[in-house]
Amino acid sequence: MIKKIDISKALKLNGVVAVLTYNDIPGLNGFGIAIQDQPVLCYDKVRYIGDAVALVACETKELLDKAIDLIEVEYEPLPVVEDPLKALEKDSPKVHENGNIHLHTKIDKGDIEKGFKEADLIIENEYRTGRQEHAYLETESGFAFYDEDEDLLTIFCGGQYPFRDQIQIARVLAIDPRKIRIIDEPMGGGFGGKDEITTQIHLALLAYHTKRLVKMEIERDESIVFSWKKHPMILRYKTGVKKDGTLTSNEIYIYADTGAYASLGGPIVNLAVEHSCGPYRVPNTHIEGFCIYTNNGVSGAFRGFGVNQVTFAMESQMDEIAEKLNMDPVLLRRKNILKKGDETGIGSKIETSIGLKKILDEIEKHPLYKDREKNKIDSSEYKKYGVGIAISYQGTGLGVGLPDYGACWIEMRRDGGFNVYSGSVEIGQQMKTTLKLIALEALKISDEDKVFIITGDTSITPDCGTTTASGATYRSRRAIEIASKKMIDILKKEVNEIFNIPTDEIKIEDGIFKNLNDEKITTYEDLAEILYDKRRLPKTEGHFNFPTSKTKIPGAFGLPHYIFSFSGAIALVEVNILTGKTNLIKAVNLIDGGRVINKIGFEGQSEGGIVMGMGYALMEDVIIKNGEFLVKNFSTYLIPTSMDSPYQIETIPIESFEELGPYGSKGIGETTMVPIAPAITNAIFNATGKRIKQTPATPERVFFALHKLPEK
Amino acid sequence: MREFEYYKVKNLKEAINLSKKFGKNKRFLAGGTDLIVRLKDNLIKEENIIDIKNIEELKGIKEVEDEIHIGSLVTFSEIIESDILKKYSPLIVEASKKVGSPQIRNKGTIGGNICNASPAGDSIPPLFCEDAKFFLESTNGSRIVNIEDFFKGPGKTILKEDEILVKIILKKWKENEFGFFNKLGQRNALTIAIASSCIKIKKSDGKIEDIKISLGSVSPTVIRAKKVENILRGLKEYKKDEIIKICDEVKEEIDPITDVRGSREYRIEVSKYLVFEALNNLLNIRG
Repeated sequence: MIKKIDISKALKLNGVVAVLTYNDIPGLNGFGIAIQDQPVLCYDKVRYIGDAVALVACETKELLDKAIDLIEVEYEPLPVVEDPLKALEKDSPKVHENGNIHLHTKIDKGDIEKGFKEADLIIENEYRTGRQEHAYLETESGFAFYDEDEDLLTIFCGGQYPFRDQIQIARVLAIDPRKIRIIDEPMGGGFGGKDEITTQIHLALLAYHTKRLVKMEIERDESIVFSWKKHPMILRYKTGVKKDGTLTSNEIYIYADTGAYASLGGPIVNLAVEHSCGPYRVPNTHIEGFCIYTNNGVSGAFRGFGVNQVTFAMESQMDEIAEKLNMDPVLLRRKNILKKGDETGIGSKIETSIGLKKILDEIEKHPLYKDREKNKIDSSEYKKYGVGIAISYQGTGLGVGLPDYGACWIEMRRDGGFNVYSGSVEIGQQMKTTLKLIALEALKISDEDKVFIITGDTSITPDCGTTTASGATYRSRRAIEIASKKMIDILKKEVNEIFNIPTDEIKIEDGIFKNLNDEKITTYEDLAEILYDKRRLPKTEGHFNFPTSKTKIPGAFGLPHYIFSFSGAIALVEVNILTGKTNLIKAVNLIDGGRVINKIGFEGQSEGGIVMGMGYALMEDVIIKNGEFLVKNFSTYLIPTSMDSPYQIETIPIESFEELGPYGSKGIGETTMVPIAPAITNAIFNATGKRIKQTPATPERVFFALHKLPEK
Repeated sequence: MREFEYYKVKNLKEAINLSKKFGKNKRFLAGGTDLIVRLKDNLIKEENIIDIKNIEELKGIKEVEDEIHIGSLVTFSEIIESDILKKYSPLIVEASKKVGSPQIRNKGTIGGNICNASPAGDSIPPLFCEDAKFFLESTNGSRIVNIEDFFKGPGKTILKEDEILVKIILKKWKENEFGFFNKLGQRNALTIAIASSCIKIKKSDGKIEDIKISLGSVSPTVIRAKKVENILRGLKEYKKDEIIKICDEVKEEIDPITDVRGSREYRIEVSKYLVFEALNNLLNIRG
């Protein structure tokens, strides 16, 4: 609780340009993608240690520390809400006035009691997952300036959705969003962590107040403390299954620690609920998801968006069922996988392409899986090898009822090339390369210099939705396709008018217009000159709405998804049974992303997904005790190095043709990571006979699963 | 970062004289892999930084009869590349390979690792097994101390205010000596040890004639597990169950803490297996 903020001493320090507090916010003192519950600058309460109380601008970076030390804030300590389960109790202290439950989703399908009665075996477990940090290449940073003559505020800052940042800033400054220009490129990495506001509003406030160029750079140890994390979840699963392996029922409770503010916690819990039964037919379900406020940092969007956690739980359940029924894990999954027209765990029908059968076929014949018993023979006395598998699915796009669209503008240039404007942004995933490949193909030319991709600037590109949910490539590609087709049609009409050849007799090969006898009529270059002289170089637009389901799930906003990507993983691990240290030796990722367009980009996503999934499985966890971060930078928050990565990584594309996708493709950014953690923990079980129910599977956790703590 | 005075010295005498002048209010800068990080985090209160990087007397690895002298400014990369050490003192080479990352090994020095006196210093356990001697110099002249007398606690040594570690003196290995170093970390590189163990064995006629066992990260300083050494010395037959039972005694000799890398309980339990794992690599343990 804030009792008093005194900035007078800091203001007197020579070289301090501005010190801003909540008093200096002209508009709404709040931000957040879903609800604006997070103060830009705190006024009554500080809800987590990364909350901002004052903003300081100095002439030099060195002065900042001194100025910050001079700001006096008087706090009255409040009880810390640490355990999400305790936060649910009636007498728990409240993080927000309305209570600690941000969202509670409940879904029933079939008859859960009947389902358990039909079951021959019931498996019940509690799982816990770690708090993963995105660990993007560059920390949040940017600069901003205000042009008084133009009345235009310009902000350069890495972000995943410049048009939403624009609105969030406008609300806080109480100015017209058109007076704000956001340029959010280039970026080294986002992984969901820059979907929400990072420094944008603070930069805007300072630039607006000081009328000067402002730079802000978050240091790594600050970034880890203030920024969003993957939700730690407690997952209670009770799964019923018949002797022959048919799943009958699933009773699931999901408790997600969203930290001090909501951000995207609600949609994340809903996605967890949607995917909680895995890509399986489960006729009877009762699923409840809780998104819970605590004082543990903040959780938000992160590659997988709630699906990593439930997949870890469900695939661990499946592995245990296979073991207890003495059934091959692939066979068990085969009996239950979703087929076109089946209902998911929340009762929505899947009507789009499903590559699951092919994924299981590939797993079954892969030597790493097929010869897994042979691999075990190589185990030494103290090092045990094991193979595990997992499969998963991931809804792409934002879901029902949420604006989800792609847009693109294409203009022909005087040199016969094209400028392609897209609102999707490059966040390190090769967006620009992919867009260029699509545009080259759609515009029927091969010269890379002839297509120039322009992205990530609210003043010159169309709004293309957020670069997230494995859908950016999909959205912008469809839009490019549509705009390109319009462009080609216009160009053919022009050729028809100028050369008097019927449009249906004109074909285009690599920028050359030809007639039916394959004779050259003209080229893009020559046509562009003619059109330029007439001052009518064409411009086209492509707009595209992300396909969504026709039905909605009552009580779960955004559900269900319509298009799903599927993936499977095989992991070979080595467990040192003397120490508990586990290494991932080999990994295979099988990904149904529809048709592959950018092969290097595809493999890059897959390999990155494996290593990030491995970090999630084995070592990554931001430890918070009593509201304090015990892990603040990369010396204590460990991510895999090249010495930890598997020495063999294989990516197998499973190309199920998605009719709705551009050139039959689907998004894969997230699904590449999701099955990795359970494949690894299932492999640990295969190696040691011990099941790890809490990630990360640190040496200590594996050790104490293998060796009992002696009684005191 | 706070402001500080920076001095670059050319020789040992200059460094010692400056140390005398500043007393406690100074830090030496060697590789800087630790000091620079702490300076940035405002963890260094001392106002004077004495850069000793250019002192020739502190450099180089030399053979001196049956000894090897390692200058305190020798980097881990130099140790790893050293033919002398590979031949006559391979344990320190193996341990140096586990230090940080290539960048840290290129800059970090063995003297810095020792004088930081972290219980997790990777180069220290092998030096305990080698019965290393430290050559120190101050305005009062020089002295040689045994490694076992050098460390006083985490970050604490017997070094006087004007004293500098000049070199580390090791005895060359004999033919019947073998050693093994194992470091347990949360990951395989660039990591601080959860626990580490180092063993040097002298075998004759199939029995353990002599053995030295040291452990890192499980006590306020790196320690020798002398109780376990005493039981193992003279052993001829290596039965698994018996050896594990002996290793269990290591619990009596350590006093670890709980931190983000691991709990006290884990460190206590895993230490015995680290020692066992090292022994398993050196002896033909059966059954």
